[in-house]
Amino acid sequence: MSTTKRMPAAAAILALAVVVMAGAVEAKGQAAGRRKAIEVAAPANEADEAVLGRPVALALDAGRLYIVDALDCAVKVFSKEGRFLASFGRKGRGPGELSFPSGVSVAGENIVVADKLNFRIQVFDRQGKARSGFKVPFAPDKVLALDAERLLITANPTGRRKGEKLLHVYDPSGLVVWEGLEARTSSDPVFDTFRNMILVCPGEAGDFHVVFRSGERTIHHFSRSGALLGKTVVDERHAFKILDIPSGRGVMRLVGFCWAAARDRGLFYLSGPEALAGRDLGPGREVSVIDGQGRLQATVELPCAVHRFLVEKGRMFAIDDEGGLRIFEVNR
Amino acid sequence: MKKLAILALAGLIIMTAAVPFAAARELNDQADCNTNHMKCREYTLNLDAPWYKVALLLTACDIAFGKCMLGI
Repeated sequence: MSTTKRMPAAAAILALAVVVMAGAVEAKGQAAGRRKAIEVAAPANEADEAVLGRPVALALDAGRLYIVDALDCAVKVFSKEGRFLASFGRKGRGPGELSFPSGVSVAGENIVVADKLNFRIQVFDRQGKARSGFKVPFAPDKVLALDAERLLITANPTGRRKGEKLLHVYDPSGLVVWEGLEARTSSDPVFDTFRNMILVCPGEAGDFHVVFRSGERTIHHFSRSGALLGKTVVDERHAFKILDIPSGRGVMRLVGFCWAAARDRGLFYLSGPEALAGRDLGPGREVSVIDGQGRLQATVELPCAVHRFLVEKGRMFAIDDEGGLRIFEVNR
Repeated sequence: MKKLAILALAGLIIMTAAVPFAAARELNDQADCNTNHMKCREYTLNLDAPWYKVALLLTACDIAFGKCMLGI
């Protein structure tokens, strides 16, 4: 008699336990998907040279962080803890001089700089001494050393010529290896400019990834020789942000997808544009961590909006709204 | 918002009509117009500004380019 009475009670307790445990697991899953970045305190840099006027690109090597400053026409070198170490380059047209530099990359023992308004690529050694360079027939925007023999250079199309390419690969002597990814064109050049805004992230073996900042949610994967290896559709939880702008041809609808992007150990870090006061779209303070299949692994909340960043071993080196260098741990 | 955008665009057009683009009179050469237009766009894009502002500035670049090509 007592056994039969105890049986339903035990079953009910067991069922309740299962429900509670399932809820706990679900809650844990949600908590793991969303986390806050932890800021790493950077040292106060007193030198005037350490001030970043308009930082537009970053690169890392084993021990240093290189930041291109378009306003000061210089490359500023920091330790990975954020301590200012040195600066090289100055405004001009001669060797070692820069005019509106916009990209930087580490290529073996060299630092490669996209010297935009001098229409050239300049190569410096680690001490900041100009070593070599070559002219290009367009304003180079970003530069990425794919390997010792190939430099990927991106370009913003002018919109005035047909068949302009967004990607250009050169060898170190300045010979074109290949060019690809044709610029999108329509009757609205302003709209086209947004559609042709791209970000590039390095792969593992000279390959690289292209993320369009607006209009589509696919990441294009290219080999070092320019072959399209695949396209990854990004999880819809990393949502588009819409911005309607009146234009000469009615309303121009911008479908904002990504403000900045980086890649670290097989994961993409994408920050989406964020709605600002007045309904404009600006840099966001949330970063989506996306795996190689395009699935959202986590969302990292930053304490401030960031314009550009790199991620290495879970540590993010970012430029904030005031042009300051900020360092965060994003993987904890 | 819409009114503000229309006003901003109208103001921009009036301003570019009244204020000559940098040394516009000397810029009869198409190559110079192209170079200035390219620089205007690159400066704008490197501002990394909010997109509404970028769209307005790119429009101003295009208007200035048109004026330059016409030599006005």
